[in-house]
Amino acid sequence: MNIIHAVGVKKKFGGLEVLKGVDLSVSQGEVVAIIGPSGSGKSTLLRCLIELERIDEGSIYVGGRPLVENGVYVKEKEIKEIRRRMGMVFQHFNLFPHMTVWQNLLLAPLSVLKMDKKEAEDRATEVLSQVGLLEKKNELPKNLSGGQKQRVAIARALMMRPDILLFDEPTSALDPELTGEVLSVMQDLARNDATMVIVTHEMEFAKNVADRIIFMNEGVIALEGTPKEIFENTTHARLAAFLARWDAKEQEEGQANIG
Amino acid sequence: MSIANISKILLMGIGNTVTVFAVTLFFAIPLGLVLSFISMSKIALFRAPVRAFVFVMRGTPLMLQLFFVCFGLPFLPYVGRYLVMDRFYAACLTFVLNYAAYFCEIFRGGLLSIDAGQYEAAKVLGLSKWQVRLKVVIPQMIKVVLPPVSNESITLVKDTALITTIGLTETLHYAKSLVNSTASVLPYGVAAVFYLLMTFVLTKLFEYLERKYAF
Repeated sequence: MNIIHAVGVKKKFGGLEVLKGVDLSVSQGEVVAIIGPSGSGKSTLLRCLIELERIDEGSIYVGGRPLVENGVYVKEKEIKEIRRRMGMVFQHFNLFPHMTVWQNLLLAPLSVLKMDKKEAEDRATEVLSQVGLLEKKNELPKNLSGGQKQRVAIARALMMRPDILLFDEPTSALDPELTGEVLSVMQDLARNDATMVIVTHEMEFAKNVADRIIFMNEGVIALEGTPKEIFENTTHARLAAFLARWDAKEQEEGQANIG
Repeated sequence: MSIANISKILLMGIGNTVTVFAVTLFFAIPLGLVLSFISMSKIALFRAPVRAFVFVMRGTPLMLQLFFVCFGLPFLPYVGRYLVMDRFYAACLTFVLNYAAYFCEIFRGGLLSIDAGQYEAAKVLGLSKWQVRLKVVIPQMIKVVLPPVSNESITLVKDTALITTIGLTETLHYAKSLVNSTASVLPYGVAAVFYLLMTFVLTKLFEYLERKYAF
């Protein structure tokens, strides 16, 4: 069964139509990577799934329950319940800067789920170990590197035991040498059957980790398929142009690193 | 007249100075905080009166406001007779309203400085509006507003001298009387030291708070 099912999603920002009728289905345990040029609507699509943006037309179902049906949203209480099934990791981490790593992790389980303190702390120990940052638990975010911050952000999302994890360009704000540690945490999650939707510019990662790749262009899904189908496709002009640009950029960066 | 004797007399006024100061901070800060949230409301009907209030309180002299509340209100037709207040209460009320307007603007600036990503992160974690305000927004706002609040507090120490204009006694009032009666400038100097001491304590307090909120 599809844990996420979106049909005919349209979204405008003012006069600009960012999503022009998108259908998206994600099944349980699937890892979907969304790629595409800037402004293609991939981040907007992801943000619509968790109601950070509201769509104008179309329907979105999460775990079979409607979040929005034919452009009409369900009640706020139900939206909250549906949102609670998802965790989100942002490009700019969005850790709470006034709280230690530990407090960042415990805030929502204690104040939203009303989890028992001991249980929450056990869970925090578990997820922090999972991202390899248990020794940083008493640090403030400002004392962490970008990669460490993003791993904490992933751990914070995991605290809530979400059924679905959404990643909005999780490595785009990181120095190139720090992306690896974040991607490897995500790879572990994928291996453990997490359902993940990842908006990314990391083509190698998408190729290696995703079960399915969605190529978005100008507000629509231009093409989707397995990594093999996408990366070996030579007939789709837009995709070919997009991938060629990335190859060029990668080589440039490679040379810059050598230089 | 010795400095000790001058100090003794000035100390008679310091009670009012410190009380007006403390009462103003105690009430104006929470009131300003509430007003700042209302002034950012999406609903114009809530927002507009607060903006108007801030405009008037910041746009007219505090001394005029003191005169208005203390001597003006009783002349209002029909309701005036119910608005006769003890002068000290009138002074405190005016100071609280005036400073709340300034704090409202300071806090509004603090609220605007908080990154949209903070609200989004809190929202996807399921925090309620009040939880977001109390646990995410206000603690971060405090850090941003501490320097301007410190500034306002120091201004307030000195503004308390204005209550002398509605016939209340305070530190400067006694200093002025002493200068007149002793034909010496020394009481002004002692009064200045009093204000400096209060400002010094405040400065240290806010330095401590800024260290505490250095995240």
